[in-house]
Amino acid sequence: MSINHLAPSAPTILEPARRTEPSTVAQAIRFIRQRHWSFAVGSLLFLTIAVLLIISPWIIPHDPAAQSLLRRLAGPSAQHWLGTDHLGRDLLSRLLIGGRFSVVIAAVTLILCAVIGTLLGVISARTGGLVDEIIMRVVDLLISFPDVIVAIFMIAIFGPGYTTLIVSLTIVGWTPFARMARGLTLEINSREYIRAAEVLGCTKTFIIFRHVIPNAIRPIAAISFLRFGHKLITVGGLSFLGLGVQPPNADWALMLAESQAYAERAPLLVVAPGLAIFLTALSVTWIGQGLEMKGRNASKAAQ
Amino acid sequence: MWMIALQRSLILCLTLVIISLLAFLVPYMSGGDPVRTIVQSRVGDMAVDPAAVEAMRVHLGLDRPLYVQYLGWLWNALQGDFGYSFVSRSPVGPEVARALVVSFTLAMTALGIALAVALPLGTLSAMRPGKAIDTVATFVTQTFVAVPEYWFAPMAVLVFSLYLGLLPSAGWEGPASLVLPAVVLSLRPLAYFTRVSRAAMMDVLQAPYITAARSRGLNMNQTVVHHGIRNGAMPVVTLFALWLAGLLGGSVVVEVIFAIPGMGRLIYEAVVNNDVPVLQGSFVCIVALSVLINTLADALYILLNPAVRIRHVH
Repeated sequence: MSINHLAPSAPTILEPARRTEPSTVAQAIRFIRQRHWSFAVGSLLFLTIAVLLIISPWIIPHDPAAQSLLRRLAGPSAQHWLGTDHLGRDLLSRLLIGGRFSVVIAAVTLILCAVIGTLLGVISARTGGLVDEIIMRVVDLLISFPDVIVAIFMIAIFGPGYTTLIVSLTIVGWTPFARMARGLTLEINSREYIRAAEVLGCTKTFIIFRHVIPNAIRPIAAISFLRFGHKLITVGGLSFLGLGVQPPNADWALMLAESQAYAERAPLLVVAPGLAIFLTALSVTWIGQGLEMKGRNASKAAQ
Repeated sequence: MWMIALQRSLILCLTLVIISLLAFLVPYMSGGDPVRTIVQSRVGDMAVDPAAVEAMRVHLGLDRPLYVQYLGWLWNALQGDFGYSFVSRSPVGPEVARALVVSFTLAMTALGIALAVALPLGTLSAMRPGKAIDTVATFVTQTFVAVPEYWFAPMAVLVFSLYLGLLPSAGWEGPASLVLPAVVLSLRPLAYFTRVSRAAMMDVLQAPYITAARSRGLNMNQTVVHHGIRNGAMPVVTLFALWLAGLLGGSVVVEVIFAIPGMGRLIYEAVVNNDVPVLQGSFVCIVALSVLINTLADALYILLNPAVRIRHVH
């Protein structure tokens, strides 16, 4: 079709620039409203738990370590809302403070796993060849490995401690992220804009950080949230076995281990800490689920 | 095809060498003098005589160069001889083998339960997305992964053993004692299996051959039974192998709670008692098995799925 340059052009009316950016709050609300309901519910629940854990040293009614053998295994009362454990320690106080270690350890481990795994996966896919082969074979080997066993071996060799715990859980934990990041990168690599960037002469590093990682981050974040519960439960399991958080500290899994023998006399001692772990794990799983509902196409390509 | 098999077995051997080296070095990595540890384990709380330590060192051949020791240890390990447990004084090999059988039974039962529930649930929910069955599947996949087994186990014991008196609360005698631990252990794989089989089935139902089958006049159920399930179950096979390998040693918590003499408890007690030979033996066996299971699963996957086979050949 040809353009007639001599034809009188229709007078154009210029709209005044009215495009104001929506406020951050409005953006956040819009982001949440676009997700599945589980994202909002999960976030709310987790925020509540996180805030409680952070402010717990100032709001707990009793000293969580204070023993009172006269009041051991007491039922709920005005003084002890949830009763006391086998050493007469206040259950509510211990419950409020008992998630601090495990939640932080789980979160740190998860972030380490996600960062290391994503980097290695992206490098693996962008470099290809021998590097790709080596990294993927290592992933194949480690991915089937029970992380509890690796952690127990590391603890057997280096002794218990939070660093050992985090390192040992990371050794196995990065592998799913690497596999996923590799899949996502291969998919992103086949897109037009990567070709364009390569033709323009962008370096490999630039393409990875400018194009690949930003496009892969959403599904990886979703998987991170989905795996948090698993990490939290694993950390708890080690504490339960006496290889994680050590006894003077209050910890949900440790509380479960200590009150096993009193389950029949005081069921609340077993029910409450477990419920705390369960709700924390569930809330973060919901966040991940809510995130994934939207970005499902991207995450499916990785499998 | 054969090239891949060869390549895979080479990698398998290399892995085993690395793992055996790691296991061999366990006593050296933990800092202390292994001979001293052995002597200490014999004399209990009494003071250790330095002369006895040196005599023991020569007696055990631990004064030889490290690589000679490693080769000797490896030669014995290949024949299933990992030495004697510090605690029970019995040979480690048979002890590990016994524990493996127990753990294998437990893991297979748990995964069997998981599969028996997850496959139909995933398939049905993929056939009726958004309906009641799909809601159930979503609930299962979200909730079951968040249940800590060390919470569910005591509660199950409380209800089924203490209140109802139906099942034994611990031990390893007969099929009844298998029920509670297997159910507790099956929750998390059940959630993952449901999730994966639902997603796989969703994909399968989009495939052209399903439309073709439907247009030939098969109804939905016939189509799924004849064409859907075999293809939809494929990813679950891989996942099953992963979980089997993982549960062989990874069910520590459940085995400790229910006092089951499996691999997990063997390792846990070895750590608690600083029983180095048992640690080494179980470490090598578990890794070897998990690598082997995964290689076999990959092979099975390639054999079952012609599309993958063709892609691998080129």
